[in-house]
Amino acid sequence: MSEVMTVFRREFLERVRSKAFVIGTILFPIFMAAMWIIPAKMGGGGGTRHLVLVDQAPAGVGQAVMQNLTAPAPAGSDDDERVTFTVDRVAQPLAQVKAGLIGRVQRKEIDGYLYLPPDVVQSSQAEYRARNVANFAVLSAVQRAATQAVQAARLQAAGLDGAQVASLVKRVEVGTGRITDKGEEGGSATSTFFLGYIVGFLVYLMILLYGMNVLRSVLEEKTNKIAEVIVSSMKASHLMLGKILGVGAVALLQVAIWGAMMGFTMSRSDTLTKRFGMPPGALDVVHVPVFTLVAVLGFFVLGFLLYAALYAALGAAVNSEQEAQQFQMAVMMPLIIPMALVFRIVSDPLGPVATVLGMIPFTAPVTMAMRVASAPVPPVQIVASLALLAGTVLAVAWIAGKIYRVGILSTGKKPTLKELGQWLRMA
Amino acid sequence: MNEALTLDGVAKRFSGHTAVDDLSLAVPIGTIYGILGPNGAGKSTTLRMVMNIIARDQGRISLLGADPAADPKILRRVGFLPEERGVYRKMKVTDVIVFFAELKGVDRRKARADAGQWLERMGLGDWAQAKVETLSKGMQQKVQFIATVIHDPDLLILDEPQSGLDPVNQEVLRDTMLGARDRGKTVIFSTHNMEQAEQLCESVCIIAQGKKILDGRVRDVKRENVGNRWYLEFDPATEAARAFAAGESRFGAFTPHGEGWRLEMDPAADPRALLQALAGLDATVVRFEREQKSLHEIFIDRVGGAVTPSRRPEVAHV
Repeated sequence: MSEVMTVFRREFLERVRSKAFVIGTILFPIFMAAMWIIPAKMGGGGGTRHLVLVDQAPAGVGQAVMQNLTAPAPAGSDDDERVTFTVDRVAQPLAQVKAGLIGRVQRKEIDGYLYLPPDVVQSSQAEYRARNVANFAVLSAVQRAATQAVQAARLQAAGLDGAQVASLVKRVEVGTGRITDKGEEGGSATSTFFLGYIVGFLVYLMILLYGMNVLRSVLEEKTNKIAEVIVSSMKASHLMLGKILGVGAVALLQVAIWGAMMGFTMSRSDTLTKRFGMPPGALDVVHVPVFTLVAVLGFFVLGFLLYAALYAALGAAVNSEQEAQQFQMAVMMPLIIPMALVFRIVSDPLGPVATVLGMIPFTAPVTMAMRVASAPVPPVQIVASLALLAGTVLAVAWIAGKIYRVGILSTGKKPTLKELGQWLRMA
Repeated sequence: MNEALTLDGVAKRFSGHTAVDDLSLAVPIGTIYGILGPNGAGKSTTLRMVMNIIARDQGRISLLGADPAADPKILRRVGFLPEERGVYRKMKVTDVIVFFAELKGVDRRKARADAGQWLERMGLGDWAQAKVETLSKGMQQKVQFIATVIHDPDLLILDEPQSGLDPVNQEVLRDTMLGARDRGKTVIFSTHNMEQAEQLCESVCIIAQGKKILDGRVRDVKRENVGNRWYLEFDPATEAARAFAAGESRFGAFTPHGEGWRLEMDPAADPRALLQALAGLDATVVRFEREQKSLHEIFIDRVGGAVTPSRRPEVAHV
């Protein structure tokens, strides 16, 4: 078995020492963090907009709009998402000031202007012009402010009190939270979805990336005839074993490094959220219970072994990466299915689709990672799925080993299915 | 055990054609042995069977006293260089060599030290820490050769080792093979270059289309296939000498060759009679000798010029 160790060592060290590993290990978390921070910082808008209100509306309406726009946020609302406004009011007709306002927008002195025409109460038409009109948060705030002011004017005309009506038709806010075995926990519906999606995506990505690594490594040895030299020193099955374990160890190391980075981030989450201007608790989503971590890791390791064995057999059966590409889809398909159904699975992690896909060994690794990250999956299902997966790994590795043994030493055209069958019987 | 390798009635068939047919040979320990033949003769297939890379259909193989198919551990004492070359391109030169040494059970530290020595000897000392892909093709071949011999194997099996090497490196390879032999190791190599084999090998086996044409010690092979061709040279080639070569027909036909004449002597003729006739001429004979045939000529004699390589196996089955 010392040869297995030699192969393991080579596969592991060559990869870990490579620039690609170092870059990938560092860049990926930065990329993920950027996905978190950048939208929080600028995506939702936030910040202050400077508007000019061109007020031709009946008395009071313009002031009401200004008040609505500049009113302080109600207590308890999401500070980060909120847009604040500073508003200057001009009372001249639009035609007189339009050119000047456009110039000010272009010079970036103001962000835009809102025009309330004289008949705004009847027509319900106002105009908003700005550099960027696609910002949903800004647009809806402007719309809300104008609507409330106009509505108040109409209600007053009808003899009703605006504030009273507003309190009568107040919208109901539905708060969300998860109930787990430990009781009630915070976390919004979005963050739960996000976690399930991210964990599933990570497991998918890592299995795929490192499975491909195994494929490429097998192909290199086959096309260079290195395999011929190696199998004169050791059993082909041992070579395959050392290779898969070596590549797998690299994947685990990378995950461990990311885990450590994340742990570090968590330990300073308060500082970080403040620093990057994120709402407090924005990073709580990544607080994952230990049991979930262990289960996800288990599915990841077994999933990797399953697909690595398949990729090893594929690499041994073909003669070039081009040939391999034709068959890769077939190998990847079951891995992709849960990714394609991610909304189904994560929005209903205990439903029938998620449960069934979680039991089929080829779709289980990604599906179960999504499920356990987003819901309290019954432990019985987790254990059963793991057991089924482990059994399948053994069976597939056995078959893949036979194809591998014959394949790495074969030359010439790629085998037909019939020939693959012969290989199985031969080996 | 006096043989490093013996093959007895070994055969390999691929779907529809026979790559190696009833091949028997014996390689004495401590010699350089050549397996010769044109492309597609079955040389590589034979060596791959010896290395247990493909399974033979029939026959017996004894490698250093063991059957490699039944006892693969014996292959650790062998260094094998496959015909198509390649090493891990992204690895450092020393790491590649140490990896192969470790696979053969050499201690890592010793392998590292030995690798350094070999690299110095092969003129690659400055490249020890370079990545393989930055080396020229010839240098990469040297690296692979070092990886083949790093565990100091008792038997070296080299498939077409000369191919792709420039004359300088061919010389290096030649010296290494001779050096291994001098230390009591056995070297088996395949080639289609009979001239080189003739210079290097104590013994050879010539095969064509999977069948053995002849084998044995080069000296014996040449003696047994000496033929009856003679060479005659005068200095100076006088009028009388030239008239003799043109008119004399009792011994066979003289044809001008180099400075003198070649004679394919009649089997019935007596060389001594020719010598007597020459003694009576008004000319000085400076050379009169029986010409040895080269291995190449012997091969052509035995097989005929028209050797068509047989089809390459498409898929090699274990």
